[in-house]
Amino acid sequence: MIELKNVSFAYEKNRPTLKNISLKLGEDNENIVGIIGPNGSGKSTLFLNLVGMLKPSQGEIFVDGVPIKYGKRALNELRKKVGIVFQNSDQQIFYSIVQDDIAFALHNLKLPQAEIDARVDRVLKELDIESIRNKPIQYLSGGQKKRVAIAGILVLRSEWLLLDEPTAGLDPDGKRRMLALMKRLVANGQKIIVSSHDMDFMYEICDHFFILNNGQIVKSGRKKDVFLDEQLLNDCKLEQPWLVKIHQKLHLPLYADQQDLFNQQESELKGREQQ
Amino acid sequence: MLVIDKYAYTNRIVNWSPKIKGLVWLMCMVIAFQPIVWLKAILIVAVAADTIFVTKVSLHRYLKWFYVILPFLLLSIIGIVFTMSASKTQLYFPIHLFGNYFGVSKAMLPKGLLLGVQVLAAVVSTYWFALTTPFRQILDLLVSLHLSNLIIEETMLMYRFIFIFIDSFEEIHRAQNLRFGYRNIRTSLHSLSILVKMLFEQIMVNYEAMTHALDAKLYDGEFKVGKSRPQND
Ligand SMILES: Nc1ncnc2c1ncn2[C@@H]1O[C@H](COP(=O)(O)OP(=O)(O)OP(=O)(O)O)[C@@H](O)[C@H]1O
Ligand SMILES: [Mg+2]
Repeated sequence: MIELKNVSFAYEKNRPTLKNISLKLGEDNENIVGIIGPNGSGKSTLFLNLVGMLKPSQGEIFVDGVPIKYGKRALNELRKKVGIVFQNSDQQIFYSIVQDDIAFALHNLKLPQAEIDARVDRVLKELDIESIRNKPIQYLSGGQKKRVAIAGILVLRSEWLLLDEPTAGLDPDGKRRMLALMKRLVANGQKIIVSSHDMDFMYEICDHFFILNNGQIVKSGRKKDVFLDEQLLNDCKLEQPWLVKIHQKLHLPLYADQQDLFNQQESELKGREQQ
Repeated sequence: MLVIDKYAYTNRIVNWSPKIKGLVWLMCMVIAFQPIVWLKAILIVAVAADTIFVTKVSLHRYLKWFYVILPFLLLSIIGIVFTMSASKTQLYFPIHLFGNYFGVSKAMLPKGLLLGVQVLAAVVSTYWFALTTPFRQILDLLVSLHLSNLIIEETMLMYRFIFIFIDSFEEIHRAQNLRFGYRNIRTSLHSLSILVKMLFEQIMVNYEAMTHALDAKLYDGEFKVGKSRPQND
């Protein structure tokens, strides 16, 4: 579990970007935690604090009960446990060829070559990018680069995965794959913290939410706790997911995800036919 | 995007072993720098023709690639063949200047021309190699030559970052162009200075982001470049 206690962070003195944040990530049954908030609210900054790349100016962050230490070795251990994929893919791809880049972190861990090959093959398959494994990076589309960037961290098989805007620039199929992939990772025991501006995506995938506005947590809870308050979401320049909208505007039940809606409506239709 | 690079991945001999291509290039270099002039001339024509054949590039575009090096080549030849001299007889086209004569040196002209042919032969051969060998193969070649890791790393990183740089350049340039930043000389100069400034700023920002990304991937000071693995099953 990751716990923040009264964490503040400022890029410039006296202008804090994160203000006195206390929260617990990854409590029981909270495998995918969503951080939502408008542009500039501090999501990426929070992520960088979680992996020790930025150090809180006040407060402390505990990972499994131990406060983060900022020595080089301790940070390396932390990053084996907590992998992070950044918003901008270009800046995290160093190699000229896809599969070399994906293997990079594993070489740094000095894993045996056979193990590296196996892990790379596996992740290429999982993200459906086998066909571009030998391609030079500069010929990839934005979405393909995004997948390569994610693959480069996935191979670490870290306990935690921090995904900053993983769906930005992905096509609908890419989004569906991302959704399925995240579900699979969780089934394998990984925990995910994700930020995104795609409310429908977040609503569908996350078990628990934190709304970040102006560096402060203004609301947290499960789907029905955070998304029903339309006013609050509007104040935070956010939007309700469509499943919540049809619940409030059309008075349909509140479905947990699309599939849920389709299943229930279908069985209702069948019920009516039988009458 | 560098078009040159595209040909490297789509030419007729892309699947040749990089070692063979490296060997061919080496042989061409030997011919370019051996003393017999007519051999060099044949080399230029033959390799140029072969390049056009295997890469299917148009003659026009191929010739255009020489614009880049032509100024340098001409300048160095001019530097060699033009001289000042006290006597007219050592010069072609002598011009009287400040009591001396200025012109093309009779002794140096053949040397200058020889240099030109030599360089041209070397460049044509190198273009052939660069246009037919994908970057991954070049890396493989460097690895199998047991060159030092540092050289291989540098080569790899440069290749990657040249493209990032070109991409940013193109993006900014396009954005400026769309908003009429290059309508006349005055706005062009202005736009160009902003472009350079932005490129530098981006380098700073990218540097920070890159350090973070390297940390996330547990970078320990070495970029390992191994042999490539073929696309399997
Ligand atoms: N390197 C930096 N130096 C100074 N200020 C920064 C830096 N990075 C971010 N900021 C500022 O911190 C604030 C929060 O930025 P952050 O990137 O965390 O927002 P975000 O929630 O991730 O936004 P987005 O949705 O656009 O990704 C912004 O006001 C931004 O201007
Ligand atoms: Mg962000």
